[in-house]
Amino acid sequence: MNAIIFYLLSAAAVFSTLMAISRRELIHAVVYLVLSFFSLGLIFFMMGAPLIAALEVLIYAGAIMVLFLFIVMMLEMGAAKIPLTPFWKVWGPAVVIAAVILFSMSLLFLGTPQTPLSPMTAFISPRQFGQALYTKYYLAVEAASLLLLFALVGALYLGKRDNP
Amino acid sequence: MTLMDFHMLLPYILLSMGACLLLPAGAFMRRPDARTLNIMGAAIALAAGISAICIHPSQADIGNLLAFDAYDRFFTAAASFMACVSLLFASGYSARRPIGGEEFPSLALFAAFGMSLLASSTSLLGVFLGLESMSLSLYVMLAANKSDPLSGESGLKYLVIGAISTAFFAYGLALIYVDSGTLSLAGSIAALSGGAGTAKITGLGLAGWALLIVGLGFKTSLFPFHLWAPDVYQGGPAPAVGFLSTASKASVFAVFLKFTGAVGAPRAELSHVLWVMAALTMIFGNIAALTQNNIKRLLAYSSIAQMGYVLVALIAAPGSGEGAAIFYLVAYSAMELCAFGAISAFSGKDGELGDIRELRGAGFKYPARSAALSIALVSLAGLPPTAGFIGKFGIFYSALNSGYVWLSIIGILTAIVSVYYYLRVVVYLYMRGGEAEKAVAFPEADFPSGLALAALSVIVVYLGIFPGKLLNLVASLTRLTV
Repeated sequence: MNAIIFYLLSAAAVFSTLMAISRRELIHAVVYLVLSFFSLGLIFFMMGAPLIAALEVLIYAGAIMVLFLFIVMMLEMGAAKIPLTPFWKVWGPAVVIAAVILFSMSLLFLGTPQTPLSPMTAFISPRQFGQALYTKYYLAVEAASLLLLFALVGALYLGKRDNP
Repeated sequence: MTLMDFHMLLPYILLSMGACLLLPAGAFMRRPDARTLNIMGAAIALAAGISAICIHPSQADIGNLLAFDAYDRFFTAAASFMACVSLLFASGYSARRPIGGEEFPSLALFAAFGMSLLASSTSLLGVFLGLESMSLSLYVMLAANKSDPLSGESGLKYLVIGAISTAFFAYGLALIYVDSGTLSLAGSIAALSGGAGTAKITGLGLAGWALLIVGLGFKTSLFPFHLWAPDVYQGGPAPAVGFLSTASKASVFAVFLKFTGAVGAPRAELSHVLWVMAALTMIFGNIAALTQNNIKRLLAYSSIAQMGYVLVALIAAPGSGEGAAIFYLVAYSAMELCAFGAISAFSGKDGELGDIRELRGAGFKYPARSAALSIALVSLAGLPPTAGFIGKFGIFYSALNSGYVWLSIIGILTAIVSVYYYLRVVVYLYMRGGEAEKAVAFPEADFPSGLALAALSVIVVYLGIFPGKLLNLVASLTRLTV
């Protein structure tokens, strides 16, 4: 059962990523990428990393993709010259992937105790994750936070307008 | 985290906190100007370099991330000193070319932080973080001149290539981690070498190492991954390009050296791959440089070729090869920085120094910086009595000792070819008459970059005549294992 869900989700992730990089319409690509992140999040959940799963959905599918959408809309690329295609042809694959994800999610979360979907490997609780991060890898966390700070500084420098 | 740890982390704290503190510094100064801020940055980098030399490590590593062996502290100090010199060049340069603000020196310090982390990390995680800190700062430093479209182009090209190489690198790290189950650099190299007590490496792990070499190859512009160099070098501000082509490559090679020095059984297979890369890098870089008229493109191809020579020494390791590689990295950094320092001294309001024909007769009007440029170029060509000669000699000596005769022959032949394009610039510098004296007006000399140029020229010549001290130091570094 586990294995079936895993392969379903993996197929969904690979397929939606392929769709994301091959769509001409940017908005469609972003939607497919969101689907890919959702499937990856569920795979992480199955592997016993609920925190990573939550972060994948919250940060990647949530924050970063919303940012992408904003940028795409702000840039006003103009309507791409794609021939009119039937509605189901444009949204069909996305709906199928979403259905697969929903189906797996309901199996994973609503599984009866008789058929427990045990984690495939070790189970890492958010507490353990945080402890490892801030005790074993505290220097790496510091370095990563500095890296993000200077990414921000660089972006600000390049983006700001010089007053003469 | 104890007080002792803080003491050992001092160079890192100086670099990172100095970079942070430099950002609001402009707000507290009555008249913040780029010159003062760059010199402040240079002073911080100098302090970090000196502290890296002076600390006495009381434990092997901190936080499973940073090591404090002499090898690691050597590269930390080197990156800091190179940042210091680049910022000295930038102090005058950024007053002439519009690179305003605190961001340039601050990012240079943070880049030096990343390079130190990269060179002295004991963990693959640290290697990745260091590589990213370094490249991220360099993207912005290359694009720092916002009034020059070429500078933006250079930054963008390096960003795209950097993103691709990071993707290779990160994927490689992930595969290595999956296979060996450890993030420790020594542990994963032991797994690759099939050391005692480690599981046999699978195809996944091997693919990971291959991707890792691709990522490192991009950063050091080795043969199949070198095409970004000319455009990036041509467009970027000269002090930033000098910093990129020396410090970043030296620290990436510091990781490369740890890898090739410690790897066991797969050495033979690895050296086949590196052999081909080194030979093609030397041949391609030197031949492409022959036809260049833009001095920065010329130096870009030359730096591709120079990295080929370092790779020859890496193949010849273990033994004398590592020492030769580190010595050559130091010599190369000094002469390349010297060349880019002279270029930034020649770059004024109207634009960067581009065509080498603009230099016609400059040797008589601007004797000091022309002398520095000539010394750098003669040394890059590998002629005595400069550091470049001793460095190349050491590399070919160790390659011949390890039985790489054909590689040495290719190296020596291409080095002879390279003499033509280096000396061509020197000839233009000291050429009289003709349609010359059309007098391209170069800017006035400024003290900080003059000082840095003088120091670098002295180092290049000193290392060429008395290389003993550095050779001994380098030999003591390479006795250490990872």
